Amino acid sequence: MVVCNLNCPSCPFAYICIPMIIGAFIALKRYSGRLQKKRIVSQFSFLFITNTAFIFGSTGLIYTYFYCWESPFALMACPIGVLEHAFADRTWYILVYLVGAIGFASVIFGRAACGWACPIGFLQDLTKGRKIKREMDRKVRYLKYVILALIPPACYITERLAYTEICPIGGLTATVPHLIINPYGYTFTEFFLPKMLITAGFFVLIFLMTRGWCRHLCPVGAMMAPFNKISFLQLNYYEEKCVKCFKCAKICPMQIEMPYKNKSTECIRCGKCVDICPTDALDFNFKWQ
Amino acid sequence: MKKIAFLIVTLIILSAGIYFEYEKVKALNIARCLGCIAMEPKAEKFKNFWVEYPSSYKMSGIPPHPSWLVNESREKIVMLFFWGPACHPCELQWNAMKKAGIVKGSEENGSFTENFSYAKLFSINQPYDEKGGIITLYTSDRGTGTPTTVILFEKNGIVYWYAFSGEANGEGGRPDINELINILEKAREEKYGGMQP
Repeated sequence: MVVCNLNCPSCPFAYICIPMIIGAFIALKRYSGRLQKKRIVSQFSFLFITNTAFIFGSTGLIYTYFYCWESPFALMACPIGVLEHAFADRTWYILVYLVGAIGFASVIFGRAACGWACPIGFLQDLTKGRKIKREMDRKVRYLKYVILALIPPACYITERLAYTEICPIGGLTATVPHLIINPYGYTFTEFFLPKMLITAGFFVLIFLMTRGWCRHLCPVGAMMAPFNKISFLQLNYYEEKCVKCFKCAKICPMQIEMPYKNKSTECIRCGKCVDICPTDALDFNFKWQ
Repeated sequence: MKKIAFLIVTLIILSAGIYFEYEKVKALNIARCLGCIAMEPKAEKFKNFWVEYPSSYKMSGIPPHPSWLVNESREKIVMLFFWGPACHPCELQWNAMKKAGIVKGSEENGSFTENFSYAKLFSINQPYDEKGGIITLYTSDRGTGTPTTVILFEKNGIVYWYAFSGEANGEGGRPDINELINILEKAREEKYGGMQP
């Protein structure tokens, strides 16, 4: 069986394969530390699993991170898409499934899916970006909750998938790949241009800011964030070991005021702070109590 | 204890969600909106009606048409119109068909107009209608999506059919609305010859 014939222009897997190879080169250079090595394996594995519909077909499972179910090989359903359908179609019972899926994963892992599983988070790790002023960051963080709160009424009133029409993640992971695979298959609606402009804006954002999408705009992150306070997986801070070097604060991609705000709703459990801590004053473990 | 309680509660909610709603979410996942995303239409430009899957399909052989559909296609030309509630291109196609005098009513309870009395329409709300699953017979799995239009008729024990996925707007190998009328007329000619049904 020929796995790859190096004929990328005609290969339907090229859109995912090429970014994975480029990503591997960047990630291998950029990821250092015990947890980071594990994280790169996890992120690659999830990127692959996310796009395995060519093996398993479309399933009724729900992603616990942001990925478009209209992507050519998307295995599961987008949590925001499910939320939109519940309100646009008035099918309230699927909300139970959504709450259960997000709740169950988040009670165990908190927002770790953002750091260890989400392909969009992975992309942002590769683009790196810069840090912004704390004051500004603190104010804009709440925007993702506002977006999440606006999606249900927007879908209910318009009876459409209002967010999907302009979703930059959909633009990146579904519209663009489909346009590459089959440029004539698209029905251009009035939302195409805004969607592409927002997708371009998404790229500007992630190149300008570290985890700019996760921190400020991601509605799935907003769903999971409150669970950080009660999740089993916790980032622990041992004050007696801390030498107050604040390396953890400097490296944190979410710009959390580490080490004191170790239970922050913004923490994506990426473990960069754990890896860089010279005195092991930070670690991860599952707390059952 | 609080954490364990949270875990148990979410596990119960998740189990109930999977038990009752898994199939619905799967149907929604399959019913991806073609217009929104540019799914490959998996349609060959209409020349003749097909008996077997054409070369653009991943499947081969004669499609396993359900018996109710075969029975219906014995009586009349059948058109299946798969749509989704939040599907904008489905709405565009429906409105265009309505404007062209092909159909009347709404996507939920529409039918052919008197000009097409020789044909019967099944307008199927794909994720929510129990007939919605048959869409997979007429599109390859990853090509599945809404809107999808299928035209069938039976003659001398053979089911002839034609399908395309995506809006009938004349792009990507798909017919436009006028060509859709021609295909229905062609089906009538093929099924009944010169005789009026």
